[in-house]
Amino acid sequence: MSNRIDRRNSILINLTLWALTILVLLPFIWLIRQAGPQYVLSTRFVFMNQNGIVLAWLKNSLLFSLTALAISVISSVTAGFVLAILQIPFRKFLLFITLVTMLIPITAMALPLYVLVDKIHLTDNIWGLIIASSYYPFGTFLSYLYFVSAMPGDLIGMGRIDGLGDWGLFWHLGIPLSRSLWSVVIFFSFLNLWNSYQLPKVLLNDPRHYTLPMGLELLYGSGTAIVGVLMLIPILGVYLLSQQAIERGIFSGAVHGQ
Amino acid sequence: MAFKKKYRAAPLLMISPYLALMLFCGFIPLIYAIDEVSKPSWKNLNGSFSTIYKILGDFRVIPDLGHSIFLLVVYVPITIVSVLALSLLLDSTHVPGNTFMRLVFLLPGIVSGGISVFIWMFFIGNHVNWNLNNEAWIIAGVAFSSGAGSWVVIQYGSLRSIPHEILEAARVDGCNRWELATKIKIPMISRYIGYMGILLTASAIQIYSEPALLTKIGLPSNWWSLNQVAYSYAFQAGDFAAGTALSLDMLIPSVIIAIIFIRKTDFLKRSAY
Repeated sequence: MSNRIDRRNSILINLTLWALTILVLLPFIWLIRQAGPQYVLSTRFVFMNQNGIVLAWLKNSLLFSLTALAISVISSVTAGFVLAILQIPFRKFLLFITLVTMLIPITAMALPLYVLVDKIHLTDNIWGLIIASSYYPFGTFLSYLYFVSAMPGDLIGMGRIDGLGDWGLFWHLGIPLSRSLWSVVIFFSFLNLWNSYQLPKVLLNDPRHYTLPMGLELLYGSGTAIVGVLMLIPILGVYLLSQQAIERGIFSGAVHGQ
Repeated sequence: MAFKKKYRAAPLLMISPYLALMLFCGFIPLIYAIDEVSKPSWKNLNGSFSTIYKILGDFRVIPDLGHSIFLLVVYVPITIVSVLALSLLLDSTHVPGNTFMRLVFLLPGIVSGGISVFIWMFFIGNHVNWNLNNEAWIIAGVAFSSGAGSWVVIQYGSLRSIPHEILEAARVDGCNRWELATKIKIPMISRYIGYMGILLTASAIQIYSEPALLTKIGLPSNWWSLNQVAYSYAFQAGDFAAGTALSLDMLIPSVIIAIIFIRKTDFLKRSAY
């Protein structure tokens, strides 16, 4: 009896989830049906007939996103580990500031960031944008929550008994037990950087230095859709690469017995 | 002396790149922004409180505050409940195509502005009769569909982390799916739920992209949200101090909620060893 109810509930859950999935997919299917063939034809137009500017934006976007991704992910996951596991002064204050700076609207931060980037002579330069975008408090807090919840105190204690120092704990326990966390932070950081719009708009002036989301605005009406669709491809690629880890779970570390 | 005894150099070295970035991209800009509000300028002759009085007297601020309160009351709880429900459903049984589903839920949030316009044209039509009754609901709907997918990925991930032994023990004790969800899973991921609550509160108060996007489908107001007003002060009227003053005002409720949450829970507790 209980098995039958269980099976019925499983079928209901599956039906509900598939119905929702189809509902969300409907506009995308409509979009592809309406404009699919035109997209294919306009790809050549967008990439060739704009003096190659779209390719320049693509190059800028890749350089910006991948470099800032490397800096933001390494610094934020390491910081999350330190704040959760190791002893540092003003730990709670640093966590609080991490949370507060995450909550500040970009409107308040954009001009001060412009002034600071200008002081190091990197305005209208992709490297200025990279520096200004590499601070990733969301990843730090997510990493902090992960390490606090997923690294059992006993394991860290045993690591200490085995002679591991602070670096050793991070290298031999923190990194191997947090591969799924790295994947999740990489995915969300890439998503954030690849779609970044407001800060590049404040820091970059010359259209040749634009990233794709900014360029998309210039192209509005003459190929926006095709560039928009193409912009999705790297995000889907990173998602698929990280899906296995996401499937295993953000926390799937020591306590999961895997 | 006590400092040297208690703290080692390695953790400080490990966290130093993050601290440098926090200082350059977070802390110093915040101090600069506060200083900018307090300083007199040719747009705000007296600076400080007079700038704050000026923005509070703006005819757009009170209606926009109402919009923010509407989003806080409607969008935040609905998003939290829906994200948890979807994540719990995905986690509760074997669902073929689970990864694909989460990707589909993410899609509305990751498509660029241009594509989003087409998508929302599909759902709400090209000729909406915008009025006070429907615009807040439509904007809440757009915000929900853009943000929920990311949180489903995070909350589903946190649910997958719950030790298998705990769930098995609860099942042996006779817990059904509902009891497993409400008595075991939700309490175990409460920190992640709190994190989501704080960030959703901030995003409701600071909403910008969604109303800006909907102006392309005919939303009559360019200043539907407080953040749009702040943006118009800072980057259209050239009054950065007023824009920042409004932005910092928007920060206050989010920080208060964060402080309450931190004080009432063990949110900032260090790993116990």
